[in-house]
Amino acid sequence: MTGIIFTKIENGNPGALDYNELFSYARGIPGVGHVWYSTDVPLYDKQAMADLIKEQQLKRIVVAGDTPGMVKPFLTGAMVIAGNNPEDVVLAGFREYGATDNTKIDRAKGVLFCIALGVTFAEAALPEETDVHPDTLVIGAGIAGIQASLEIANGNQKVYLMERTGTIGGHMAMFDKTFPTLDCAACILTPKMVEVGQHQNIELLTYSEVKGVTGEPGNYKVKILNKARRVDLATCIGCGICTEKCPAKAPSEFDNGTTLRKAIYIPFPQAVPNKYLIDADSCTYVQKGKCGVCVKVCPVEGCIDLDAKDQEMEITVGNIIVATGFKPFDAGKIDRFGYGKYPQVITSLELERLINAAGPTEGSIHFRSQDKKGNWIFSVESGMPRSFAIIHCVGSRDENYNKYCSRVCCMYSLKLAHLIKEKLEDADVFEYYIDMRAFGKGYEEFYERIENEGVHIVRGRTAKIEERNGRLMVRSEDILNDQLIEQEVDMVVLSIGLEPREDAAELAEMLGISTGEEGWFTEANYNTDPVNTFVGGITIAGVCQGPKDIPDAVAQGSAAAARVLQSIVKGKVKKSIKDMPLEKIEEKAKQFSNSMEGKS
Amino acid sequence: MSTRVNPGLIKEMSQYGMGSWNACFHCGNCTAVCSLTEEGILFPRKEIRALQMGLKDKLATSVEPWLCYYCGDCTETCPRDANPGELMMSVRRWLTAKYDWTGLAGLFYKSVSALIIAFVLIAIGIVAIGFVKDFNHEAVMHFGHSLEFYLILTVFTIILVPNILRMFYFTVIKAKVNAPFSSYITAIGSLILHMFTQIKTLKCDKQTVRWLEHFLVVMGYLGLLVITVFLDWFGTENRIIIYMGYITGSLVFVFTFLLMISRFSKARELNKYSQPTDWFFIIWLFLMGFTAFLVRLFIDIDLLNDHFWIYMVHLIIISQWGMLLVPFGKWTHFLYRSFAVSFANLKKAAYKEKLATAA
Repeated sequence: MTGIIFTKIENGNPGALDYNELFSYARGIPGVGHVWYSTDVPLYDKQAMADLIKEQQLKRIVVAGDTPGMVKPFLTGAMVIAGNNPEDVVLAGFREYGATDNTKIDRAKGVLFCIALGVTFAEAALPEETDVHPDTLVIGAGIAGIQASLEIANGNQKVYLMERTGTIGGHMAMFDKTFPTLDCAACILTPKMVEVGQHQNIELLTYSEVKGVTGEPGNYKVKILNKARRVDLATCIGCGICTEKCPAKAPSEFDNGTTLRKAIYIPFPQAVPNKYLIDADSCTYVQKGKCGVCVKVCPVEGCIDLDAKDQEMEITVGNIIVATGFKPFDAGKIDRFGYGKYPQVITSLELERLINAAGPTEGSIHFRSQDKKGNWIFSVESGMPRSFAIIHCVGSRDENYNKYCSRVCCMYSLKLAHLIKEKLEDADVFEYYIDMRAFGKGYEEFYERIENEGVHIVRGRTAKIEERNGRLMVRSEDILNDQLIEQEVDMVVLSIGLEPREDAAELAEMLGISTGEEGWFTEANYNTDPVNTFVGGITIAGVCQGPKDIPDAVAQGSAAAARVLQSIVKGKVKKSIKDMPLEKIEEKAKQFSNSMEGKS
Repeated sequence: MSTRVNPGLIKEMSQYGMGSWNACFHCGNCTAVCSLTEEGILFPRKEIRALQMGLKDKLATSVEPWLCYYCGDCTETCPRDANPGELMMSVRRWLTAKYDWTGLAGLFYKSVSALIIAFVLIAIGIVAIGFVKDFNHEAVMHFGHSLEFYLILTVFTIILVPNILRMFYFTVIKAKVNAPFSSYITAIGSLILHMFTQIKTLKCDKQTVRWLEHFLVVMGYLGLLVITVFLDWFGTENRIIIYMGYITGSLVFVFTFLLMISRFSKARELNKYSQPTDWFFIIWLFLMGFTAFLVRLFIDIDLLNDHFWIYMVHLIIISQWGMLLVPFGKWTHFLYRSFAVSFANLKKAAYKEKLATAA
């Protein structure tokens, strides 16, 4: 006889698994003698539990629940006292199998059924395979998407690489250096970007978005919106005359608003494709109907079409890799840090551009100032700050904003401190942190190095920033010394965290994949299957699955590509686990169980 | 000497208020966001640490909880929802129990039923005395007036003065604050100022309205106390005293009513976690002002003879107030808070001297 013990968690979440339903389902599973809630058995009294096991003649015990692992040791002890095999206490953790809410109650039932019969869920719930279309779509051309595309394309398979903005590269292209090696980010990334641009197996779809996905694993029809670029990619020679003459300006997206760009522009000099595009929102012609200077000066006839319209296209692919990345936290949400109020409070991404030799000040650090038209920008004409405060965990590890750790901020903050010191040797740099998370290979050593470079590292979260004597006063507690610190500095850098894209949930719905509590895409298994989703043929890579640094994003990009190549080589892709009907799982579990009994 | 962690303290404290104090990861946000913290006077994080470690002595000898005026900034911005503001409030209740040598304050904080039984017993006692005196108006009112007088005297000498001395022992002597003698003299000056004005509240952000409400209640209460007890409001013929009584009485019940609404609507951070003792305190203050007002009104429009019950109600309220809420309840914060400012000044002076000798 098998006994099932439910460890019920009353978390009160709406839509949580219905344990009463699971409880009555469990009673009907063949071979199951008794079903209890953990509160109804003497769980913590091994002798009493052993007596119960003997009385009910239980040979196996299944502990079922959200995360039931913690009660297992009590039961193995009781099993030994009862004279049974302690190995016969098995866990059915619903969360582990992705049954996190009541819409997935069938999966929870399937897990329960399989484990009660001594069959592994993955075996019984193995989806059938179906033919796969050899082409692949990669959504998002940041470092993870680029890596995945190159891996597949170098395996001689066709890849569509789709990107929402006018160039590939993503956030990594904006960074000055990488940690902990202090490699120049552009020097690593741009060769890869060029390779993508020239690869015969990669079709670039920049300035494009997914509109809809139909079909099934192995054969997806993806509707794509090609936003009007208004400059013909084929004929544009990239001469730049149009930009020179264009009268309209807007904050540069690539430089995070630290400088202005024209309405017809190239995102940055190494952009791929290295062609111009027109931003409709700032173009005078599109907005007001007159101008057209760019058309007049363009040396190529018909290259610029100011009246071009958005177009739609449809492609067929067998696999989709989602690598949509993240959105930086909006520092303006935290009033007390004064971002948007005090010009010298800047974000870490702004500092990345400011420090970069290709940035608005060619790598020298200056105050933010107003230009003649009143735009706040960074220019070499304003003075240079001499002291800096870098505030960690802005928008991260905070119940009021995002409660998770964004994982990269500690290290990039240390890196920024180093880069400031490199540019301004006698500058004072203060880091304010809650906990220093230097968890990766070489990271602890990097932390040590930055400390030795004379950066003042203070344990204590900054609570508020105010203006005092024309400088910025940073108020925090020095936890390690029980003191209050009111430090006046010239410039404050907010180390903003990572957030899921605003439309991540929309994309997830289109694709049928799921998002977790925080909005990141959910992987099939946290430990053993971090790139697959519960939908066949759809894998995830990079930060869209959860905050991670460049090496991890690259690794996951390669891993996703491996899954795709595996299916293409085999010619088959697994259907979605989530589409497996419960009856089928039950049937297979029974088959396996019978065949096992037959063997023994 | 090494310290022993006492996990029971956090359990004990949760009888005095609500908060997930174990969630605190010691980022120091609360201390730094507070407008009242200064060099040498740091809270609430240090108190949370002491609580988590179960350092009872450290917590009992700290004067800092009394320096917090509960603006709620720390709780609102706490990245862990650990509710540091409510911890300071809970520690104040706990300290009130610690300072009280009779132990009754702690009993009433922890057990509402004990408090209610005491309330009922007092009410029965007053009715019984009325019965003995045959509900003779003059005799009962005379008794009531002397009761007020002797009650104040007794509570002051037997309960309040010893408790203040205990507070001094805890926060200055046991905490080993070695302040120079001159600082004691300046501390007395600040005591009077803060007792009557609670002026420090104004240092908190956006607390002006709240301070004014509280100030008017305090002024009304003290005025009413002087006018009824020492100027015999219910017996006097002096018009000025009568009018002053009406003004102070209405100040008390109008503004306590407003404060009751704030507690009820929970709009402000400090009003979100009311304990039964908070409710008793504010409702009895309201009832005291209101019944006093009615008694004098009934005298003036010649209704008291037919409606003597209103005086009996007033007397019950006053007795419950004076015998329970003043010595063992929230009333004591009036004294503890003002003395705390002075004791904190001693601590600051000692801190400065220590820094000076170190330098």
